[in-house]
Amino acid sequence: MIGKARAFVFPAVLLGLLETWARTVGKGSDAVAPPSAALWAWAGALADGSLLAATGFTLGSAALGLAIGTLGGVLLGTVLGLVPRAAQAGFLSIEVLRPIPSVALIPLAMLVFGFGLRMELSVVAFATFWPMLVLAQAAARQVEPRLLEVARALQLSPGERFAKIVLPAMVPRLFVALRLGVAIALVVAVTVEIAANPHGMGYTLMIAQQSLDPALMLAWLFWVGAVGYAVNAGALWLQRRVAIRMGEAGLR
Amino acid sequence: MTATTPATEPALDFDRVSIAFGAREILSPISLQVGRGEFVCVIGPSGCGKTTLLRAAAGFVAPSTGAVRRAGGVVSGPTREVAFVFQDYGRALLPWRTVAGNIGLALEAARVPRAERQGRIDEVLQTVGLTAHAGQYPAQLSGGMQQRVQIARCLAQRPEALLMDEPFGALDAMTRQGLQDELLRLVAEQRLTVMFVTHDLEEAIYLGDRVVALRIEPTAARPSVAAVIDVRIPRPRDQLLTREHPEFLRLRRELYQYLGHH
Repeated sequence: MIGKARAFVFPAVLLGLLETWARTVGKGSDAVAPPSAALWAWAGALADGSLLAATGFTLGSAALGLAIGTLGGVLLGTVLGLVPRAAQAGFLSIEVLRPIPSVALIPLAMLVFGFGLRMELSVVAFATFWPMLVLAQAAARQVEPRLLEVARALQLSPGERFAKIVLPAMVPRLFVALRLGVAIALVVAVTVEIAANPHGMGYTLMIAQQSLDPALMLAWLFWVGAVGYAVNAGALWLQRRVAIRMGEAGLR
Repeated sequence: MTATTPATEPALDFDRVSIAFGAREILSPISLQVGRGEFVCVIGPSGCGKTTLLRAAAGFVAPSTGAVRRAGGVVSGPTREVAFVFQDYGRALLPWRTVAGNIGLALEAARVPRAERQGRIDEVLQTVGLTAHAGQYPAQLSGGMQQRVQIARCLAQRPEALLMDEPFGALDAMTRQGLQDELLRLVAEQRLTVMFVTHDLEEAIYLGDRVVALRIEPTAARPSVAAVIDVRIPRPRDQLLTREHPEFLRLRRELYQYLGHH
């Protein structure tokens, strides 16, 4: 308990200093507001419903985009991991496409889809597709060779081998990949909103800045951070649960 | 080959089997018959190809020349009629399945009807003394218990022969002796043919009807099979009495040189 409380000391001191500074030297600043004012602004956003609407849009599009990117990446990655010839054939295309920064696709996505959900989805899906592809490919390649021999010894059919051995063996690594994907999806979704899409938390953050409302801007900044922390903590929890269930983190 | 009647047909017939990986010859031509219900142990120093010989018997590797025959045909790949017990039990078990689930895999592979599976799982669990652990995951069990799960999965296949690759090599002495006696009991009850690879000379003599000693780096003048020795020690064997038996001590002395000691 005391150990956990200790972790809050440093942030509390920082907030206290910021509060003091914003109320004295930095009074009337267009960039920094006291945290207490930010808290009020946050409560206001919560009351008028903009907080929930923006958070819902960002999380929803990040989740949907991640789902699309994950589905595609895991399917293709598994094929590439299991079929070495496919991996050889696809290697160059993947290595050329993969390094494209996902935000560089925003102009193209805007032309194709216009503003709104679909454009954000497409960029998030693109950004998460590649890491999921690479990690799923590695997961498929790294299935314990001994288990594949067990499958051979039992004369499992290719379908049974995949369903009963390969796929379950990949699951813990796929959930590690998913945890990374969650973080990427959230960052990219907020970036798209700041750069182009007039929806979500990124956009409200921009609007607060442009309307010279540092308290509200700070409120959104802290809120984005808090949401990101919660989402990542949830993903980490899920990954650990899966690892234990699938025997990866089994204690001896 | 001379004509043989089915009753005397060997369970496993190594017919001039040689195995080379690239230019390196692992096993020079080996001819060896393992009779039905016989317990043959294979010993030799590291790198002598004893595991490779066993893997050829299982159909995991194809001989470079010659053939392994079984049940009137040439072994061309693994079959459920022969079960293979791996040394690294920790990797050979599905960590996401319980003990019962791991055993069930063999039954699913053999297309045993769902209704019969539970009965057969219970049966082999009882045979290896793991009934109380049916619902546990491999990581929750000790090494000795995990190896018993693997043996139970192999028994669930209802194989004719067990091929065992240093199955007790990673276990402590007490657990190993317990499992040796359990294995001998199982093999006697189910009349299994066993080929058992080990680097432990005393284990080989204790378990086997015959001990085959392989040598490292075979040449034309010094073929892979250095010696084949009958173990004429009465069964059932006993951890104290058998190991003090004069014949046991004599064989131990005789075979000692084949483990790379000079």
